[in-house]
Amino acid sequence: MKKIVIALSLILLFTAPLIVSAPFFVHLMIMVLMWTVLGASWNILGGFTGQVSFGHATFLGAGAYTTMILYLKLGIAPWYGIPIGGLVAALIALPIGFICFRLRGPYFALSTLAVAEIIRLVALNWESLTNGPVGLLITTLPDVTFRGRSIDWENKIPFYYIIAIITLGSIVATYIMSRTRLGAYSLAIREDIDSAEAIGINTVQARVAALSLSAFFAGVAGGFYAMYLRYIDPDAVFSIALSIEMVFIAVVGGLTTVAGPLIGAIVLVAFGEIFREIFLVHFKLVGHLIFYGLMMMIVIRYLPEGIWGRLRLRFGSQH
Amino acid sequence: METFVQSIVSGILTGSLYAMIGVGLTVIFGVMRIINMAHGDMVMFGMYGAFLSITFLKIDPFLSIILWIPIAFLIGVLIYRFLLKNIVPAGELNTLLYTAGLSLFIANLVLLIATGDYRTIKLKYAIMPLRPFGIAVPIPLAIAFGMAILITVALYWFLVRTDTGRAIRATSQEPEAAALMGVNVDRTAIITFALGTALACAAGVLLAPSLYLYPTVGEILVAKCFVIVVLGGLGSVPGAIAGGLLLGVVESLGAVYVSVPYKDAIGFVIFLLVLLFRPSGLFGVGKS
Repeated sequence: MKKIVIALSLILLFTAPLIVSAPFFVHLMIMVLMWTVLGASWNILGGFTGQVSFGHATFLGAGAYTTMILYLKLGIAPWYGIPIGGLVAALIALPIGFICFRLRGPYFALSTLAVAEIIRLVALNWESLTNGPVGLLITTLPDVTFRGRSIDWENKIPFYYIIAIITLGSIVATYIMSRTRLGAYSLAIREDIDSAEAIGINTVQARVAALSLSAFFAGVAGGFYAMYLRYIDPDAVFSIALSIEMVFIAVVGGLTTVAGPLIGAIVLVAFGEIFREIFLVHFKLVGHLIFYGLMMMIVIRYLPEGIWGRLRLRFGSQH
Repeated sequence: METFVQSIVSGILTGSLYAMIGVGLTVIFGVMRIINMAHGDMVMFGMYGAFLSITFLKIDPFLSIILWIPIAFLIGVLIYRFLLKNIVPAGELNTLLYTAGLSLFIANLVLLIATGDYRTIKLKYAIMPLRPFGIAVPIPLAIAFGMAILITVALYWFLVRTDTGRAIRATSQEPEAAALMGVNVDRTAIITFALGTALACAAGVLLAPSLYLYPTVGEILVAKCFVIVVLGGLGSVPGAIAGGLLLGVVESLGAVYVSVPYKDAIGFVIFLLVLLFRPSGLFGVGKS
């Protein structure tokens, strides 16, 4: 049963743009998958390790800027740039982790918010590197031939497959992590950090490791974001709102579950984009994030284990 | 020297309003252990209140505070009673996440109604700044400063002298003991939350003529609030007042002597340092 579900999901994941190829739907699916990666990234730290971060946009931004700057200034192609962006984000996570993990619970959350704001201000003002508030723009992506044909970057479908592979990577990584020693340490830390320390777990090291892994995927998603939208500026990729959205995806989907971020992204992003369409196109209004806020309040109140966290028990799944 | 005095003065003027916002956040935290991410949105609400008063009701924003404080108090009662009350027992982190959701909800509700346009409030009597001793003091900020002091003193008197105020301080120190001594902890919690909300809203009304208004302004303000209350020690009222004044002065000195773009970053750096090395606040009175 479980294997069938996984196989069907995989087939669906890789054939979806062939079934519905209208650009709006492909865009919607790309957004859902990108936010799945971001939710999964946040879940590795916030769900499994129980460390609530309000500053994950830092890693998204680091990945986005790394990929963009490598491409614009050094001509390094995005398929190297995106993973390098992830690595840079993971490296940045090390000092942040060693500083912020001296704090616990809500204090850790507030410290990550402060770090993210400091980094946003640095990105805004370090004009020689980031071009400041003007942002960075790319007009063309490099020529790539795939099976003898040149890939058309104006089409959204190639982007869909790239993000689908990244998403799969993030979900598999979450699954693997949940079964390794790091996963067990993380759960112990989440349940009771003092007991975890007492039985000999180096909790700072374990939390920094989880943060780095988490930051890697946020960075990769950031690199993808930069290449897909072809434009970034500090307020777009380093904003507090972005960090908060990541939290919401993971919490609404279900913390500490493997599939939760995907469910959270489907519910929040798909409905959010549909709300955006209705509000913007029909009423000329912005403010579709009202739906995010509302969902978050409902979930914390009535479904604190998240949508998938509740549903998975029905399906007899542990992931 | 003149620049130095000038920046200290403007720092204290802004700081007095920061202090008011911080006091609201810190009493809420002290009594209910709620880290209220929606606090900045209450300030934003007050700012829009002032804007509504002058545009539609033709009431001076500073006078309209008489109208908005009770409204905000009532909103605070409703939010606590119908939204937060059931969440608080679920723990600090769940409450934190819940208020983050509430914050996004309020900000976007205002965004839907008022659109994202930047607005300003122009007061006829406030075009030229006052110049006592050669120091420029913008009139709106001076009035706001005076009213902020009045409100803060009134609040202090309330907390120190009245029974309800004593109940709030007792609950903040030790909720169980307070309950055993006959304090109605539930009622105290409602009053405290409403009081904090009213303070934030009042600060918003006073700030409105000096700042740009836009629906997501709360995001930046709430981050500053956290800096203030952590500087002073979470849960401590005098600490929040000192923290607010300190942040105001540090920001304005930073803008002059370090750099304008990085003035906001200075506050956050101090915040991190205090969190790491003095987690109970600069004055060692807060709860860590």
